[in-house]
Amino acid sequence: MNQLVYLIPLLPLIGFLINGLLRKSLSKSVIAIIGSGVILASFVISLVLFFQVKSSGGQIINYFNLINLDKLVIPFAFQIDQLSSLFLLIITGIGFLIHLYSAAYMHEETNEHYGRYFAYLNLFVFSMLLLVMGANYVIMFFGWEGVGLCSYLLIGFWFKNDNYNYAAKKAFIMNRIGDLGFLLAVFWMIAKIGTVNYTDVFAATSNFSSADITAITILLFIGAMGKSAQIPLYTWLPDAMAGPTPVSALIHAATMVTAGIYMITRSNILYSLSEVTQHLVAIVGLATALFAATIAIKQNDIKKVLAYSTVSQLGYMFLGLGVGAYTGAVFHVMTHAFFKALLFLGAGSVIHAMHHEQDMRKMGGLKKYLPITHITFLVGCIAISGIPPFSGFFSKDEILAAAYAKNPIYWGIGVATAALTAFYMFRLYATTFLGNFRGSHEQAHHLHESPSAMTIPLIVLAALSVVGGFFNVPEVLGGHSSLHQFLSPAITSEVVHEASHSTEYMLMGISVAVAVIAIVIAINKFSKKPELQDAQGFAKVLENKWYVDELYDNIIVKPLNSLGSFFKNIIERRGIDGMVNGVGKLVNYSARQLRLLQSGLVGGYILFMVLAIIVLIYVWINDNHILSFFYKYF
Amino acid sequence: MAITEIIFWFLSALAVISAIMVVLSKSPVHSVLWLIAVFFAISGHYVLLNAQFIAIVNIIVYAGAIMVLFLFVLMLMNLNKETEPQKNLWMKLTGVVSGGCLLIILISLVRQATEIKGKIAVTKTGDIGLIKVLGKELFSSYVVPFEISSVLFLSAMIGAVVIGKKD
Amino acid sequence: MPERAELGVMNAIIFSALIGVVMMLGGIVIKSNAGIKLLAIILLFILLGSHLAEYYDLFNIHIQTHGMLAKSRFGMFFNTIIISLTLLYVLLSGDEIVKVGTYGAEYFALIFFSLCGATILSSYNNLLMLFLGVEIMTIPLFVLTSSEKKNLKSNEAGLKYFLMGSFSTGILLMGIALYYGGTGLFAIEASKAANEAQQAFRILLPLGLLFIFISLSFKVSAAPFHFWTPDVYDGAPSVFTSFMATIVKTAGFIAFIKLFELRSVDMGYSWKILLPLIIILTLLAGNITAVFQQSVKRMLAYSSIAHAGFMLFALYNPNDFGKQGIMLYTVAYSLATIGTFAVLTKMKDYTYEGYNGLAKTKPVLAATNTIFILSLAGIPLTAGFFAKYYMLASALKESTSNLWLVIVAVLFAAVSVYYYFRVIQAMYFKDGNAETTEIKPFFKTLLIIIAALIIVIGLMPSLLLDLFYA
Repeated sequence: MNQLVYLIPLLPLIGFLINGLLRKSLSKSVIAIIGSGVILASFVISLVLFFQVKSSGGQIINYFNLINLDKLVIPFAFQIDQLSSLFLLIITGIGFLIHLYSAAYMHEETNEHYGRYFAYLNLFVFSMLLLVMGANYVIMFFGWEGVGLCSYLLIGFWFKNDNYNYAAKKAFIMNRIGDLGFLLAVFWMIAKIGTVNYTDVFAATSNFSSADITAITILLFIGAMGKSAQIPLYTWLPDAMAGPTPVSALIHAATMVTAGIYMITRSNILYSLSEVTQHLVAIVGLATALFAATIAIKQNDIKKVLAYSTVSQLGYMFLGLGVGAYTGAVFHVMTHAFFKALLFLGAGSVIHAMHHEQDMRKMGGLKKYLPITHITFLVGCIAISGIPPFSGFFSKDEILAAAYAKNPIYWGIGVATAALTAFYMFRLYATTFLGNFRGSHEQAHHLHESPSAMTIPLIVLAALSVVGGFFNVPEVLGGHSSLHQFLSPAITSEVVHEASHSTEYMLMGISVAVAVIAIVIAINKFSKKPELQDAQGFAKVLENKWYVDELYDNIIVKPLNSLGSFFKNIIERRGIDGMVNGVGKLVNYSARQLRLLQSGLVGGYILFMVLAIIVLIYVWINDNHILSFFYKYF
Repeated sequence: MAITEIIFWFLSALAVISAIMVVLSKSPVHSVLWLIAVFFAISGHYVLLNAQFIAIVNIIVYAGAIMVLFLFVLMLMNLNKETEPQKNLWMKLTGVVSGGCLLIILISLVRQATEIKGKIAVTKTGDIGLIKVLGKELFSSYVVPFEISSVLFLSAMIGAVVIGKKD
Repeated sequence: MPERAELGVMNAIIFSALIGVVMMLGGIVIKSNAGIKLLAIILLFILLGSHLAEYYDLFNIHIQTHGMLAKSRFGMFFNTIIISLTLLYVLLSGDEIVKVGTYGAEYFALIFFSLCGATILSSYNNLLMLFLGVEIMTIPLFVLTSSEKKNLKSNEAGLKYFLMGSFSTGILLMGIALYYGGTGLFAIEASKAANEAQQAFRILLPLGLLFIFISLSFKVSAAPFHFWTPDVYDGAPSVFTSFMATIVKTAGFIAFIKLFELRSVDMGYSWKILLPLIIILTLLAGNITAVFQQSVKRMLAYSSIAHAGFMLFALYNPNDFGKQGIMLYTVAYSLATIGTFAVLTKMKDYTYEGYNGLAKTKPVLAATNTIFILSLAGIPLTAGFFAKYYMLASALKESTSNLWLVIVAVLFAAVSVYYYFRVIQAMYFKDGNAETTEIKPFFKTLLIIIAALIIVIGLMPSLLLDLFYA
């Protein structure tokens, strides 16, 4: 099986090449088959690999040396262990469903763009696989950059719309800011211990001072902030809605945003050594979770709500990472992948039915027109709200329990966020599916359930959202925490928190109760008379996302622009240009003078050579004097 | 002063003066004749070092064959004063000065060389210059360079033909 | 392996000399230009085959060399490189070679003899062989330089080259004589006892080495002994300039490295002053003078001086990085130079203006030429970048106090971008109607292959270096 490992990323790459190069000549069905087929094949291999890892443990597979400079050797190697094999399953599995869904969703595009779309999608999966499989930070960085690039390409897929291009650019730039942190962390590691292999780095933690560890982990975390959309680098993710809906599902559920979680989980040994960073991660995560949830309450675009809910759920995961519940975070990544993919694809189905209408104020009462979408969407909403026995309950509970053990305040804010989550999700559900239809007659006329290529992924994901939680039932509910046991070789610094069963029951009870209350309020409030007017007062602040974009514009973009024009007009024109031109003139002048030496007369040349020989002999005789002269003055 | 020493100084003076005359002579034919004198003086040194073979070869090849060739070429080209290119006086002067500097530096350096200070040349003794010993050396230890030098001559010959033959 | 050193005569030396003779005699039988070129290519394949046969221990001729030659992995690998490069060169420019004059077969024979000299230089172990190698390598070049008999510039260049070459040969001989006077040996690998005894020899040995250093500097056209280079490279027929600037020049460096790998110690402190002095002068003379040229051919002549400055860095660390680096540099620089000269020989006008608008009339030529020029300028992702990197790294590896020299070299590399990019600018951004002679598809294919090689090596230099260690 190990011989096949390289196929997992290679297949999507091949798919990318075929679809990318032959996009003009292949028919749509062939493109779709190739695009989805390679992912399915990768999924099958991943599945086999997963069971192999489960039975016989992980390993590192070396291919060749990517960089071999003096003492720094960076191999091209894959690390297949419990953590990466689990992520492989999520990426290829959900990725495949999204590809399948896309085949129908994107069918209106022309052949060329259809091929381009699948090529990008395959490249995206390839990059993500590289990120997860790499056995060192440099390979991870390749994947890291790759997903950044692909997100840019996909968000700006409809590049004729300028706003979409701005959104793509925004995503790219925000990611680049984070990437800088990541890069600096990698350089720091190379400078300190001269290696970036996970195993070597984690074995050499004693060579780091505690300041080193804190710096490296914070820098890595900055990278994660960019990729996983945490405060302050989160604003790109909601704008990333500009891309086709399946792309949003891919970015939000299976790939990209989970990269940061994966990276920190992978580096759990480093993070556990720095108390400061852990607190920072937890607080940033918590703040993001709450902040994004408040924004989500007042959004009217169906995808925007889901986007902010992703940001919020990611905040949850970081809270888990910050309090040392790495398995909990990974578990939440997994369940979140199920229900968020489900919700996005469901939203896509709705948008498809509504002819690209995304404003939910113009929907309502879709329950009877889209039965499958409705049911599956409802499942997703319940799952994300954390109602037992749906999957979200288990993963959320695990994080909350760990947060309580660390600090009850964390737990309190977490539960409040959970209530907000339940509230805005059911606001979304009620506004969209319940009540009366508010769209135009034409839209009403065309309302229809999506084709089976779109509903099958929904059904599969809904099933997973329901049962996904049972992979890791905590002991207090009579389970075995199987995921914990499975991941324990890869996550060695998990914080085990001991709480009495009664406390845990109480915590669960409170969070479930709060969620249920929020759901009841939301359904009551929005099913009959949804909010159709523009928001007023504080709600307006929320609707405008706390004016964060405007804030960034004023404190970063505008000063940078004026600084840029200062540099351009004053420093560059006067200073640099003058200097550069001066050097150019000097070179030109000396070239003209030196050229005179080249007289073309052999006698002259030989004369110069003789003079040079005399000088060289003189240098040789007086070498001691010259050297001591140089040592004295330099 | 032993007779060897007298001959050594005489030959050395002859060689140096003749060499200077080679450069100074206005007529190319005279230069060639002076050059022949230089070769003879050097051959005399070889004899002093008991290297008769090299002495003879030097006379036959250089003083004989090559110099005669030179003379023929010069006569065929019929060089005379009118065709002699005018040279810049400054150029000449700097040439003399820099060449002189080099000479002085080299002489002073070699005089300081401790490794040969106080040593005198081995004259009249030693058999390394004899034809028999030389032949043995040449065809045993130095056989590879000896053979490979044929490539050098071959390419020089081809070159002469390529350049010299009329198209 | 000492016994191998005693016995090693290389197939490459013997075969290249024999093949030269065969080539010359073949000229009597074969009259057509195409036939002569074909014969040359076949003979080159035979030469490469015989050399590889020895490389992989399949077949070689054993002769007692009495320590005159020493077989080394380094030398063997270098021979493989230069023979392959010559093959590439002949494949690419063979038509032009036979077109220079009426003696096509003789030109090839002379190239083979020159190659024989180069192979000697990669394996000599004795100053006599150094002398013979240098002479065998350069004497055919005097002839090739002046082979375009109707062209006064070619004749002038040949004579200049000959006069100045003789002068430097005189210096080399004097150096060897002093070396012999100091040590009583011609061998460069002296025994340990002899080495210890030499501690007392403070003048003759280092002075001899200094003279050899000067003479070899002349051969590789390092300043201030470079004056012959622009005139000769400019005057010689372009095809032969290409050969001189690549294979011959790099062979000179191999000779340089072999000697000073062992003997730079004997130069004492002065080595630390002379080497940077020569490097800076060479970089200065090459790069700065190249800026002002109007002819691309002459610019390339100066740029070859500038590259010599970079290759001299290998002498800093001739054991490790320097050797790998010079290998990489040989390949990177030679490939790019052979390629860009091949394009040059097809141009009707050698000035920058002559290249105006080449991208429109001959896009393949312009694109490949751009890659060659980028590689010469040392832009990343081309082989030239890593070649320069290894060179500079070898200086830093010797001692970090050489940082200033590395910075100077990088600055000069930046200057070089100016004159290299003028060619690209002319090809792509200027309007004009660049005229070329007829271009065959085979020629284009070869150019593309060379460009691809440059990129591949630029991406993964370890491919080449691994071959060296394999």
